[in-house]
Amino acid sequence: MVVLNFTLTPEAASKVHDLLVCLGKFSETVAIEARRERFTFTALNSSKSAYCAVTLDGKQFFRQYECIPDAGGTDGRFSCSMYTRALLSVFKGRLYDPLGRDGAVERCEVSLQDQDNEAYCRFIIKMVCNQGVTKTYKLTYEAVDVMHALFDRSVAQNRWSMHSGATREYIEYFGTKTELLDIFTGEDGRCVFKSYTEKISDGKEILKHPLVTAVAVNTSDFEYFNVQAGLHIVISVKDFKAIVLHADTLKTSLKAYYSQPTRPLQFSYGCDGLVAEFTLMTSGDYTGAPPTPTPAPQQHTATPQQSRQASHSPSAASERTDMRSMRSEMPPPVQPASRRDQNGRLRNPGSRQPSSAPSQSQTVPPQAEPEDEESLFVPHNDTRMQEEEDAAWAPMDYDKEETLGWDASADHDAAVFPTFRDSGSMSRTTTTDSNMVIEPTQRLSEITGLW
Amino acid sequence: MPDEPPVLTAVSSSARQLFTLLRCIAFASKAHVQLSHEGLKFSVDEASVMEASAFLDKSLFTTYSFHAPPVPPPSADSDDEEATPPLTFHISLAALLETLQIFGLTDPDASRPPWARDNPYPTSTAFSNNVLGMNNLCRITYDAPGAPLSVILTEASIRTSCDLTTYQPEYTDEIPFDRQSLAFKTIMRGSWLHDAILELSSTSPEKLTMYARMVRGKPLFALSSTGTLGSARVEFNNQPPKSTLRPTAAKPDEANTPPVNLLETFQLSDPDTVLRASYKYSLIQKAARAMSVATKVSVRVDMQGVLSMQFMIEVEAAAGGGSSQVSFVDFRFVPLVDDEDEGGDEGETLMQNGEGDDSHDAF
Repeated sequence: MVVLNFTLTPEAASKVHDLLVCLGKFSETVAIEARRERFTFTALNSSKSAYCAVTLDGKQFFRQYECIPDAGGTDGRFSCSMYTRALLSVFKGRLYDPLGRDGAVERCEVSLQDQDNEAYCRFIIKMVCNQGVTKTYKLTYEAVDVMHALFDRSVAQNRWSMHSGATREYIEYFGTKTELLDIFTGEDGRCVFKSYTEKISDGKEILKHPLVTAVAVNTSDFEYFNVQAGLHIVISVKDFKAIVLHADTLKTSLKAYYSQPTRPLQFSYGCDGLVAEFTLMTSGDYTGAPPTPTPAPQQHTATPQQSRQASHSPSAASERTDMRSMRSEMPPPVQPASRRDQNGRLRNPGSRQPSSAPSQSQTVPPQAEPEDEESLFVPHNDTRMQEEEDAAWAPMDYDKEETLGWDASADHDAAVFPTFRDSGSMSRTTTTDSNMVIEPTQRLSEITGLW
Repeated sequence: MPDEPPVLTAVSSSARQLFTLLRCIAFASKAHVQLSHEGLKFSVDEASVMEASAFLDKSLFTTYSFHAPPVPPPSADSDDEEATPPLTFHISLAALLETLQIFGLTDPDASRPPWARDNPYPTSTAFSNNVLGMNNLCRITYDAPGAPLSVILTEASIRTSCDLTTYQPEYTDEIPFDRQSLAFKTIMRGSWLHDAILELSSTSPEKLTMYARMVRGKPLFALSSTGTLGSARVEFNNQPPKSTLRPTAAKPDEANTPPVNLLETFQLSDPDTVLRASYKYSLIQKAARAMSVATKVSVRVDMQGVLSMQFMIEVEAAAGGGSSQVSFVDFRFVPLVDDEDEGGDEGETLMQNGEGDDSHDAF
């Protein structure tokens, strides 16, 4: 039998409303985990690419808080999940009425009915209003085990912190149909938030690509900024907007922690006993110009971007690449040296990329990563060679398939780049062929016995 | 025939008042109209399980003259009891409401600033059209039985006349409500009831259950509903809790007057038992508009369970000052029959003494 009951002031109840509105944008169910000294709301979105957790401190946030879980000792917890809609219908907006007019809530008492002698288990929320009106809601819940996403802050060396009011202003500029947000740190002391989408809308719309908007912020405007320059990290715009809007209701600073693209990113903020942490999956799949030539002004913004953009292969190629590299991440045993991602870095063989992350990043920080000596390729350390190699990887010509490679899979769209298949032992030849000319060591006439 | 004066001539200075009152019962398209010396009565009914009526008293009009038509000797129509049978016909209520709105000035809420809307007390006339100097006349005329109901609206120099077709009345029996044997009666503010109905709608319920009992000598009135997401319940009791958090930003006069009881009147025919009655939620919700404009509502349940809600609505003063008029809108609901294992829901246990014996439900 679990004992859980707590009391909220009207201000706290309206904060609960705000956080439920935010979590409701991620998922339609919210999970509750109650421990002895704190209470957590968590939500996981359907594609499992965003995890939200809002923790309320037992002593600071609540007027009174008591939780005695029935198992697990000091770390015991009670967890359940409910529909966000149900909770939102109870914790309505405008609960906090400073004028104390009729109908204003005096306090909110929450308890759990989980006893054996009752026919039902219910989550009971009682709003005591002035003038003698009491509103009681009994909500059904489902006992679940809550899943948490892990995030190791010690690994996340890139950090920044900005006041939520400022970020709130920036998100107003993002186009409504955009899906991705690229946070890019330039070398010139500016951080660019760029919202865009890769999807080309077909149909009758005039603009095939929705508006790309980039907001450049001086790093000195941040409260704290320590990010590797030249790093692109891409997250979902919708998630970012939801997070910023909620952070703005608390009027506090928004902190970001991340390491590199495709590793999780965490936003965190909090005040007065409420701590919110959002862990998002990222990608670094930054695409530049679309394959069809569109007028440049639409794409390029006034802010100085890294020149890499010009060297990126058109998006169609990169998409194919993405799919391939994603497939090649799957568990088959790692090829020792021949596996190189297209950036020429030896990928960490055992790394488990999150399955939902789209791809390996194409971007490489200008500082050279330490190359592995095992590789049989000529090490490419300089950016120029890198760009050349990238360009070399980007043949758009489907007609002349210059490949000699043999691809065991039936995926025809991998035809041009068999390199990344595990079975691509032929790949080396192709690569070296395209990069440098190797003289034959024997003349044909000298060969005997072959035919 | 042409010498006969028209059956009804009524002039009102504010179509808005009429519109407000008629909008409360506007959930049906056709209304039954009854003309008499005292005023006009509009009634609607819904499948004989609910009926509503709005009575426009003759004091709402600046001029009201009613001449009963001569009663044709043996006529099938006059099966009424009185000497002057009230004149009745059917009319399209939707068309009448459209007509009254024709100048777009009839909704007072739209013309008031946001903080003055939905105020149960009569607002100052500073915002009414009369002070603004607009002439607003609404003249309703009914020439003879069978003639169309003519509504002429005048505003400044624009005059609109609408003739609404009248139809033969369809007589349905009134829902019987026995005023003499009441099981329960209470009077409370309309806004509280409106708020409660809104709260209960969050669970998307089918059924609304009403409870009333005396708790340690104090009255308790509650409304509860059950839906897919759980159940909700709003309780009204007369013990004002001490406001611990903040002193109400008191208006000066409130400090001197004693706090008004939430339930002004509370009468239970049998104080020892819990009164419990269930109604279809969607029907009760149709009265929501009346609840929101009403100053007070009288909730009565008779011995058979028929619910009667009478809303007292104060409309703004007529032209030329004068006190604001009070009009009444009535609703009647037929109760739902309890199933055997209905057992109310877990709400029973909350009646402060945990008398919930039947906590099994159809789930």
